[in-house]
Amino acid sequence: MDNFDDVTPLPIETELEDELCRIMYTDEYRETLGLARALLQAGEYSERALKLTAKVISLAPAFYTIWNYRYDIVMHLATQRGEVAEAIDRELDWVDEVTLNNPKNYQIWSYKQALLQKHPFPSFKRELPILQMMIEDDTKNYHVWSFRKWCVLFFQDFSHELSYSDLLIKRDIYNNSAWTHRMFVFKHSEPDSTQIKLEIDYVKDKIELVPQNVSVWSYLRGLYENFWDSKYDESIIKFAASFTSNVQDFDHKDSNLPEIESSHALEFLANIYAYQENKKQNAIRAYLALSSKYDPIRKVYWQRQISLIK
Amino acid sequence: MGTSATRIQYLRRNLLGRKREVVTRVISTEDEGDQNEIISIMKEVETDTSIARDEVIEKCQALYEEAQTIPELHRDAHKKFLDASFTNDLPPQMAALDASQPWLLYWTANSLRVLNEKYLTKEYQFRICEKLFAISPTGGPFGGGVGQLPHLASTYAAINALALCENGEDYWDMVDEKAIYDWLISLKQENGGFKTCLGVGEVDTRGVYCALSVASMLGIMTDELTEGVVDFLVDCQSSEGGFGGCPHEDEAHGGYTFCAVASLHILDAIDRINIPNLAKWCSQRQLDPERGLSGRSNKLVDGCYSFWVGGTAAVMELYGLDHLINKSSLRDYILYCCQNGSRPGLRDKPGTHPDLYHTNYILLGLALCENSFNLSDNGKAVQCKPLPVTAPSHLSSINPIYGLPTKNVQKFISHFV
Repeated sequence: MDNFDDVTPLPIETELEDELCRIMYTDEYRETLGLARALLQAGEYSERALKLTAKVISLAPAFYTIWNYRYDIVMHLATQRGEVAEAIDRELDWVDEVTLNNPKNYQIWSYKQALLQKHPFPSFKRELPILQMMIEDDTKNYHVWSFRKWCVLFFQDFSHELSYSDLLIKRDIYNNSAWTHRMFVFKHSEPDSTQIKLEIDYVKDKIELVPQNVSVWSYLRGLYENFWDSKYDESIIKFAASFTSNVQDFDHKDSNLPEIESSHALEFLANIYAYQENKKQNAIRAYLALSSKYDPIRKVYWQRQISLIK
Repeated sequence: MGTSATRIQYLRRNLLGRKREVVTRVISTEDEGDQNEIISIMKEVETDTSIARDEVIEKCQALYEEAQTIPELHRDAHKKFLDASFTNDLPPQMAALDASQPWLLYWTANSLRVLNEKYLTKEYQFRICEKLFAISPTGGPFGGGVGQLPHLASTYAAINALALCENGEDYWDMVDEKAIYDWLISLKQENGGFKTCLGVGEVDTRGVYCALSVASMLGIMTDELTEGVVDFLVDCQSSEGGFGGCPHEDEAHGGYTFCAVASLHILDAIDRINIPNLAKWCSQRQLDPERGLSGRSNKLVDGCYSFWVGGTAAVMELYGLDHLINKSSLRDYILYCCQNGSRPGLRDKPGTHPDLYHTNYILLGLALCENSFNLSDNGKAVQCKPLPVTAPSHLSSINPIYGLPTKNVQKFISHFV
């Protein structure tokens, strides 16, 4: 460790005798954080301060104050030496290491955004491998997916996204993060009707593979709502009905309701039929069947949907 | 679904390994008891998602099956858990929460108050205020601990913790509303959001909620502060119906959805969002047979969403939408699955350990299950009325917007506004 003989550590605890929820810091923790506080207060932007912040972050990754201080040190040193790109690149490498050890951390992502915004020639290519590794390790990591979206918009490069999401969907067809990433792509890229039609075919393939999957039905509905003004064609209605044993078309006693392949298909159909003048009875039948057999925990919700039709 | 579910779980557990390529299997339930006449075909695949969920389902079902008595809250045990948090020092590994110290105070104090308002003794109240004003001797904004930068989340937790205390030693008068207001304004971003911290910090729905909760409690809401905020929030609603963290079509998430919906209530702008889609999304969060709430589509149930999603449902109740979740089933999940026998503290799900965060949000969720919510006094006051429940838990009335007991919100706001 560097020499800090000239620095008096500042206290990191209150002086209260009977402090509530007092943390029993280790000596190492108290000294490192105390030194960092002292340097921060003195406004020291030096190489040794930079190293010290790395140590603090390894001890307490969520310590946002020190992330802020570190950012100031990095930018200060970079400007002073007139090598901004190199300094930020080095810093990004360091952050990658921290990231792999702290996948759930909140601070890393805004820190990376701040660095990339200051970079004279930032590169999406540089970011892709680490993002891939993070997702590989935790396929629904919210922060990583959100940061990836930020990158796509920042670099205005959508070219990798659909194939990447497809890869994740092939690995786990229930991965909602991967499904919603597709909606992000389409909502930001003004697709024409051919592209949407192709996407609907993609969705239908996946539904045939696993019909009981909330993510994919939700996504299908989203595509129609966002791009086709909720105008559902006969073919999609027929497609959905192929997973519901047509329970929406005939009156059943509750005890006679057959097994169906997808309650989400039935919910999807009911939502369409509820708005069609001559199909309201079918919507009511679907909601009643959902309420009594296929998804009874949502009974109050289904009952309300029925009351909205009447 | 239906009768074949157990069989599918059996097959998944016994015949298939982890991380396979997608396989489609056709399972016939032809030979199952008196369902003979039905030949149903179910397609399911084995993935990380389905394996994880099956494990939870199995644990929950075991608890429901062995349950024999009417479920009840083990209040004395939970009180012990909370008192321990206030009477013992925290072990060194809790340094992970060093930058979140006001949260520890809020979670513990609030859990005690929700259990019974008398559980938060005068002595606790005094020591909470002492600690908060030791962290910020100037009266706010607040950071996570001594010498730390002010942060939106810490300031939110600190103000909530102060509101849980009475104004015994005139502590409330030490709050510097002007300094907090100026700081909030300095965090405002062009897109209508708030940065959590000056310098580097994230801008998301959570930050907006923290800022608006604090400002509305302290009576410092102005047009200058709220300009553009509604647009930011509206853009955070995803196609699924729930809200994400950022206005760029993020995945809908229980925590961010609560933050957005509670904020929109504070701003009186609920009518700006797609309400039917929000209702659908909330309703889809409740899973059978677990009975609890998940935070995202195809994710596992977790007790904390009893508040984040349940609280969203409670806010929508104020607008006459009382059908978003099944309260009695959620109550089952909390009492059977989030308690570990009569051991202290509440937990995320069976197989996990209790902590202060989950204890607080699960107790709030339980209060939501045992009460109904509506607006009174010309839409200005939130009313919390007990629902008929067998063996009720007798928790304090709560205000879902702030996640605090009704009484404490009223007293605090009337002091400042």
